Amino acid sequence: MNTEEKRQTPENYPEPITKKDLLKAWSRWWWANEIPHTFDRMVAPSFLFGMMPILKKLYKDKKDLSEAYQRHLLFFNTQAIWGGGTLTGITASLEESRAKAFAEGKEDEAPSPDMINNTKVGLMGALAGIGDAIDSGTVQYIFIAIALPWAMAGSPIGALFPFICFTLVTYLYGYYFVRMGYGLGRNAAKEILAGSRIKTMIDALSVLGLFMMGILAGSYVKVSSSLSFTLSEKEFVLQDILDSILPGLLPLLTVLGVYLYFDKKGFNITRGLLWLTGTLIVLGAIRIL
Amino acid sequence: MATLSVGQALIIAIWVAIVMSRGIGYATLTLRFSPLMTGLVVGIVTGHITEAMIITAAIQLVYMGAVAPGGALPSEPAIAAAIAVTVAVLGDFTPEKAVAIAVPVGILGSYAYQFRFFLNTFALRILDKYAAEVNDRGIFTSVIIIPIVISFILYVPLVFVALYFGAPVVADFVNSISDGPVIHVLEVVGGGLAALGIAVIMHVIGKKELLLFFFLAYFMSVALKGLEINTVTYAIFGAILAGLYVLFTRRKEPA
Repeated sequence: MNTEEKRQTPENYPEPITKKDLLKAWSRWWWANEIPHTFDRMVAPSFLFGMMPILKKLYKDKKDLSEAYQRHLLFFNTQAIWGGGTLTGITASLEESRAKAFAEGKEDEAPSPDMINNTKVGLMGALAGIGDAIDSGTVQYIFIAIALPWAMAGSPIGALFPFICFTLVTYLYGYYFVRMGYGLGRNAAKEILAGSRIKTMIDALSVLGLFMMGILAGSYVKVSSSLSFTLSEKEFVLQDILDSILPGLLPLLTVLGVYLYFDKKGFNITRGLLWLTGTLIVLGAIRIL
Repeated sequence: MATLSVGQALIIAIWVAIVMSRGIGYATLTLRFSPLMTGLVVGIVTGHITEAMIITAAIQLVYMGAVAPGGALPSEPAIAAAIAVTVAVLGDFTPEKAVAIAVPVGILGSYAYQFRFFLNTFALRILDKYAAEVNDRGIFTSVIIIPIVISFILYVPLVFVALYFGAPVVADFVNSISDGPVIHVLEVVGGGLAALGIAVIMHVIGKKELLLFFFLAYFMSVALKGLEINTVTYAIFGAILAGLYVLFTRRKEPA
């Protein structure tokens, strides 16, 4: 076959993927990430934008390159660091095997476009779940919790510290996931979703995250009773009585109340916000709080 | 009553557009989810950095839980901060009053973000053609340039109008109701809403057996309040506890 011969010529052989290529792909994905978010493709355009330099090195035939571009425009949505990082690495490794298999004429050994796409789609949700909980939900708020007292004292460091630290740290371990994804290929996902090292890291971050939430709750949730009444000519101030039982009782009950609300009634932040605001307005208006 | 100049309102509006267009990559995640940097920008632009930071810190407490699974936030902290911090600095408000303004503004802001996706969806249809042609220039324009321009067209006028015309009105209105029961209620709400974000994060972390560490930290911070231990020190305690937890739980597992 004519096209077969063309693919096997040396100048059409895929160039090797270097660390620099991976860093470039990662940085391009990191930059584009949420810019072209749409309803139909979600962030697939960013994924293609990230993969472009790697695909160019792998597919020297324009038709193959065009097909590769098009398959990475299909619906794709994930979290930037855990999902995007790992899948950029895995996809680079799969595309490389595919390109090499074609160039060597072993087309039956090449990962099919379906297989590449199914790997991405199959993993993007699970990895995004971890990424949202760890990056946005835990790491980000650990930095914010540390910096909040500076902000409360009026210092710009309170804003700059969490912004710079979070951006740098996630960029760096995102690149680690790219390298791991590339090195392990499809096994990388198993390592992240079930591997003990990542699990240990998540556990440690969860402990630290919950600990910092405790500090924040103890320092900054302000719920106190303004109720006082007179019984047989002795004035009782409810807050003083509560403080003599257990200091910090009302703020703790408020946090736990919202937590249990999410636990029992489902995790709907807007509804939680409305309920909490409504309750506080009523209790404040009748001067219990 | 102080007002903003056209230039001041424009700079804040452009900042919001940069953040909401996500134009500087994943760096915009915490810019969008947290009001802190936007509050600082408002402080720099209005020349009241200290006040702006104090107010923003109170708003941050309400938004502690912003995590946006799947990309949709029920509220937009950056937009809330751009408006509420400006209003509060102009009107010399307490942080609690600023929080009460921020919450509804943030909810309105989230509709604009959905609208951005909607506009992108139409504008980026042409990507199929560019990808088929391997047109790198066209792809760059569609993936980066066009969506950023769309966001600027969407957010700059929106935030500018809200700040330039809306902020003084809101500030005057809130000041006029400043006496009596309304302010007491606003302060109760502002102080208690911090519980929401904290509960959200506890739920997101989602490991019930680890809640012990939350209780430990809570009672440490309440009981040790008089010692004025700063949060960096507490974070070190937390990191050590996390290390110990990993150390002890690992030992139990069969090797």
